[in-house]
Amino acid sequence: MVRFLALVLVLAAAAMVLTACTDNGDPAPENGDMMSRLATVQERGTLVCAINTSLPGFGALDDDGNNVGFDIDQCRAVAAAVLGDPDAVEYRPTVAGERGPTMQAGEVDLMVRNTTWTSVRDATWGNFAWTTFYDGQGFMVPASLGVSDPLELDGSTVCVLQGTTTELNLEDFITQHNLNIRVTTFDDQAPLSEAYLAGQCQAETTDRSGLTSVRATFDNPAAHVILPGTISEEPLGPVVPHGDEQWYDIVKSVVAILIYSEAYGIDSRNVPTAQTGSRAVDRLFGLGDSNWGQEDLGLSQTVAQDIIRAVGNYGEIYDRHLTPLGLQREGTRNALWIAAPCEDCPKGGEIYAAPLR
Amino acid sequence: MAGHHTARLLTYQGIPVWRHIVVIQWALQVLSAVAVAGLVFWFFTNISNAIDDRDIPYGFSFLERAYQTPIGEHVLPYDSSDTYAYAFLVAASNTVVLAIVGVILAISFGTLIGIARISSNWALSRLALAYVEFFRNVPVLVLILFTFYIMLLLPPVAESYSVGGRVYLHNGGLAVPWPTPAGQALPALAWLALAAAGAAAGVLTHRFLTRREAVTGHVSYPLTAGIATALGIALIFWIVIALLSGAAPLTIETPAPTGRFSTIEGGLHVRAGAIVMLISLVIYTAAFIAEIVRAGIQSVGKGQTEAALATGLHSVGVLRYIVFPQAVRVIVPPLISQCLNLTKNSSLAAAIGFADLTNVAITMTQTAPAISIFLIIMAAYLLMSLAWSAIGNIYNWRARIVGT
Amino acid sequence: MATPEALTTAEMPPPRMTTGPAGWARDNLFASYSSGVITIVSAGVVLYVAWQFIVWAFTSADWSIIPTLGGTLIIGQYNSVTVCDSQNCFWRPQASLLLVTTFLGIGWAAAGGGLARTVALAIALGSALMALLPLPLSEMGVDVRLLLAANIPAVFLGRAIGLRTPLGSLRWLIILAILIYIASILLLRGIEGVPGLQPIASRYWGGLMLNLFLAVGGISMSLPLGILLALGRRSRLPFIKVICVGIIEFFRGVPLITLLFMSQVLLPLAFPQGFPLEEVTRAAIVITLFSSAYMAENIRGGLQGLHPGQAEAARALGLPVWRATIHITLPQAIRNVVPAIVGQFISLFKDTSLVYIIGMLDLVEIGNAFIGGNREFLDNSRELFIVIALIFWIFNYGMSYVSRRVESNLGVGRR
Repeated sequence: MVRFLALVLVLAAAAMVLTACTDNGDPAPENGDMMSRLATVQERGTLVCAINTSLPGFGALDDDGNNVGFDIDQCRAVAAAVLGDPDAVEYRPTVAGERGPTMQAGEVDLMVRNTTWTSVRDATWGNFAWTTFYDGQGFMVPASLGVSDPLELDGSTVCVLQGTTTELNLEDFITQHNLNIRVTTFDDQAPLSEAYLAGQCQAETTDRSGLTSVRATFDNPAAHVILPGTISEEPLGPVVPHGDEQWYDIVKSVVAILIYSEAYGIDSRNVPTAQTGSRAVDRLFGLGDSNWGQEDLGLSQTVAQDIIRAVGNYGEIYDRHLTPLGLQREGTRNALWIAAPCEDCPKGGEIYAAPLR
Repeated sequence: MAGHHTARLLTYQGIPVWRHIVVIQWALQVLSAVAVAGLVFWFFTNISNAIDDRDIPYGFSFLERAYQTPIGEHVLPYDSSDTYAYAFLVAASNTVVLAIVGVILAISFGTLIGIARISSNWALSRLALAYVEFFRNVPVLVLILFTFYIMLLLPPVAESYSVGGRVYLHNGGLAVPWPTPAGQALPALAWLALAAAGAAAGVLTHRFLTRREAVTGHVSYPLTAGIATALGIALIFWIVIALLSGAAPLTIETPAPTGRFSTIEGGLHVRAGAIVMLISLVIYTAAFIAEIVRAGIQSVGKGQTEAALATGLHSVGVLRYIVFPQAVRVIVPPLISQCLNLTKNSSLAAAIGFADLTNVAITMTQTAPAISIFLIIMAAYLLMSLAWSAIGNIYNWRARIVGT
Repeated sequence: MATPEALTTAEMPPPRMTTGPAGWARDNLFASYSSGVITIVSAGVVLYVAWQFIVWAFTSADWSIIPTLGGTLIIGQYNSVTVCDSQNCFWRPQASLLLVTTFLGIGWAAAGGGLARTVALAIALGSALMALLPLPLSEMGVDVRLLLAANIPAVFLGRAIGLRTPLGSLRWLIILAILIYIASILLLRGIEGVPGLQPIASRYWGGLMLNLFLAVGGISMSLPLGILLALGRRSRLPFIKVICVGIIEFFRGVPLITLLFMSQVLLPLAFPQGFPLEEVTRAAIVITLFSSAYMAENIRGGLQGLHPGQAEAARALGLPVWRATIHITLPQAIRNVVPAIVGQFISLFKDTSLVYIIGMLDLVEIGNAFIGGNREFLDNSRELFIVIALIFWIFNYGMSYVSRRVESNLGVGRR
């Protein structure tokens, strides 16, 4: 009996250890934070990336349960840069209200989850890399209501998603203009959209990109109007945890590579592997003597080739995920700021990163 | 000699210490105390280190700042310039009201189902059984989401179902006429307080007359007298206050569509989130309560029912006067734990947009330290559960007094 | 209820027919006027609801979301490139399911039929029937269908093993259960360096599989933990009692979703950085503690219901306290509260759906997330939630059915 119980206990303990332990024996450094995040990620072999699972175009699940979207491809680009494999990402679905605590706990290496860069978040959540998408909060209403300006929403009910800056902006807007607007707060996108479509609220408010993508999937998109005018500034971009500047710089450089590749006209099909004659292109792709600081960041000389081959440049990522939703890029703030060689720059857009040199 | 000396030192009441039950028990307690204290200390050190190292915000100073975020619906008056502390109170009051109304409805509905369960009518008892077996075995979250999607099938506010232009039902909620203070709040409050006093007087009258009837046999219709006392006092003060202030203290306010969106204003407007939460929590909890009620009724000996029927009591009377008073003692303890469950399940309201305590707390994590916020709401829920336990204990205490 | 009236009447009518369908209906459906009205009203309600549902289900409902999501509902992201690039790891959950059905077959042999047989056959048949789902071959390959269909031979193979080898004893069953649990985890997580078994983060456990894993882990851990807490609460040692009461009342008084939120926000801080404690594990710990507090109260109820003479007699025979508890009091106490314990298992299984609050893609949330991200399916959420509710219902009803059978086998209430 005793031997049997002992056996059972040992086996149960083994089962528990197996359930609890991380896959590859997470490198638990002796003294807490001695290891750089780059080394941690490389030793682990995967990049842990906090993402959204229910925002079409930015982060969503497809039929088979694959994570797809504009934000997802940014995670993949970082994984391609530091691990050489865009698929070596462990996606961590995150609910809006859980983003801050998740970043503060330092459990994820990166968060690309349509997160607005604000000073408070910068101070408490983590560091924001270059803005990859400019957004602004707008309102969508059924065309049948005949509303043409957000100020006309006085007396209505507005649906808003929980744990987002949109909630706070909406309150500013209501107080500022002394409107009588009722607010219903949902913690998930699906019930919110259903409530809006059924007319439980007269208007839905979120980032304009979100509204456009939502509207594109409605049975009759023409029956819904996105009102002109934005009530807020929403620069979205990747966030890294505080406390590791090298890692912050790596993520910023990856975004810069995506942007400059597009500016130089390099996409996933024409990634140069030999010197091209263009000094800027050769430098970016590590094909000459000059470099832009890859070594200091702990990246390989030809990291840009890996990234662009794996996920394409900024324009390709945008076209793959956001253009099909009807998010026009030409002539908006999300066009490039730079055109290289810089003959007629700026191009009118605001997508920008510090030069890679 | 030395060995003998040591052996005597290590004995207590003539028994070696390592075999003495008192010593073993104390050692066990001290050991576990040390282990628990050590674990708590370890956790605490780790947490405070982590908070320092990673600049994690903490503390409770945010409570005095203005919240500046909308709260969808509120029983208490709320303005976005109110503080976090007050916003907690507003959200908690939403949860409390939802819980109390939900519990009352769930107990009434669950009791009906429980009685139907043991009905001699085969169709009714099978229907009740099917109800119980279905709703007990489905997660309450799925039920809440499903009720929400069903609610959305109602017409939008501009095309509300209307009953005589007084009651409006639409997928955003239900509006009914409701007494509201016509002018100032003071006369209304004064009248409400006096009417409550009147109701208390009515209860006392009822109790006094019942007791007198039991002792002296003097028939005095205690129920009628009690109600008449309560209504009379309320009416007298209504007239007095109306004369003093020049207007009726309360008027019935009828809801009506207003504005370009035909939103219903006035009266009592119960919004969709609250309705969905109420319906789903009541349906779900009633399934459990039905089983508790059934078990309680069946715990009363069959002889009781038969004897009561033999004395000529009607079957409803048998339940009301004979079976229920005995069954209640078996029913109440598990019933209290269902009340607690309903209160806790109301925390799922965020899924469908009702501003309960948890929903508001999650919103707050945007602008205030998450750890502090969740500590506060955990304490609030613990308080509510203590309140339910207290009600249960008071009942048990009274039941014991009556029993002896 | 109608008989007293008959007794008070002077002239008694001839006795009514009590046999045959008509007699049965008169006794059970139309015993009195009120009873007749109730019967007609309930029949009306049932027929109306059923008719409305059938009309909706066959005309306006669009069930295409179910085959579109298909296996994703059951095994989460295990059929996606995100999780296992360049190879199909759909077979890994299937293989662990085969292990489970084989185990059930051995259990059938050990029990010699009866309930164990029903359970084993029902689960094997249910799994095999999934192979017949009308999903296109691209969605569900031939290999997957074969693996699912293999559940039926597996249960018989298990039975043969149980009958012919010494594995069919209770001790071996317990050991096998743990071994199979370990093997399933190894299959699902993968092993570094073994071809075909690339490691998969536990983050990707999803769909019904996640609910089942959390439930099985929670059930098997919360029962022993609940017993310890219950014994501690009844202990005469004041300190131990205070601690157990504190734990029980705390976990019973707080909603699970706030605990789950804390498990992701505060719990990681309570351990040193780099401590190997994954999100799924933290969620499982919280769910287990929550459930064991309830379990403790159920078992305490059973212990209180026991006559103190049982423990006193055992002590008088010279059994030490712990032996008297293990061999005398606990078995009887647990037997008395089997329904309550199974009820707790059921609510634990239902509560696993709350992990949505921390972004885990369980059965409910994976459906929700899919609809949120693919809004062309917005209109189909009712269909989806009906199916999800049905899946939960089948499992929970199965559990309560088994509990009732066990209860009657143990003779609860008859001794």
